[in-house]
Amino acid sequence: MRRFYVIGFGLLLLFDTLAQISFKLAGDYALPLEFGPAWLLRVFGAPWIYGAFVGYVGAFFTWMTLLRHAPIGPAFAASHLEIVSVLLLSHGLFDEHIGTLQLLGALCIVAGILCLAVGETESERAGATLEHLPPAPHEPPLEPPREPPR
Amino acid sequence: MSAPAGWLVALLWALNVVVDTAGQLAFKAAAHDAHESDGLQRWRHMASRPWLWLGIGCYIAEFLVWLAFLSLVPLSEGVLLGSINIVVVMLAGRVLFGERLSRMRTAGILLIATGVALVGLP
Repeated sequence: MRRFYVIGFGLLLLFDTLAQISFKLAGDYALPLEFGPAWLLRVFGAPWIYGAFVGYVGAFFTWMTLLRHAPIGPAFAASHLEIVSVLLLSHGLFDEHIGTLQLLGALCIVAGILCLAVGETESERAGATLEHLPPAPHEPPLEPPREPPR
Repeated sequence: MSAPAGWLVALLWALNVVVDTAGQLAFKAAAHDAHESDGLQRWRHMASRPWLWLGIGCYIAEFLVWLAFLSLVPLSEGVLLGSINIVVVMLAGRVLFGERLSRMRTAGILLIATGVALVGLP
């Protein structure tokens, strides 16, 4: 099971990173921006957009599978920590300069994501006893909360 | 933001937040909806309901908006600014699904918002 998590989280990080790098590379073909089918044709004629597509779809299915089996806290953190890998790669691949304020901001964001991951784990533990009770026989399953009327 | 056409960058950034949040909420509703079933049956159930398709529609829109956004800003700046999505999705989850904001969640939201402001405001 441990191996499942490691592979799953690693795969998610890989797909997310691939998507962002590809988006940036495909972005070169997206300029100048215009609204219409000509722009779509130009963008989808460039190869890198398909890297972004593969990353997006791969991340989606990995995430849906992980959500089903993995604890939400670590899964949540892993699904957003591509920030770190993308930041490193944008410096390495694209020679982007990462200033002090940006670095400080990145640290805040990563700390925030870790806080959220811990928070998710806590709330999952608190809810575990309730949610894991089997539904009473002959009763419909719990309805999801409805949107409040506007 | 030091990018060309600052208003366009800001507009695409805001648009990205909107479609991302709508998509995440739709996926949440889809997954919630199919909570009881399993495997292929679960996917079949989700496919028969609008939530999954709404989510996919939002994702397609987000794909294009994000591409346009990243073509205007450096990638490092872009991913950091995009982190605001986490905050907005959480707040929307609280409003629509009644998700509780614990102390840890509130701290996380404040930290991320501060980080995004540090990157975006200068």
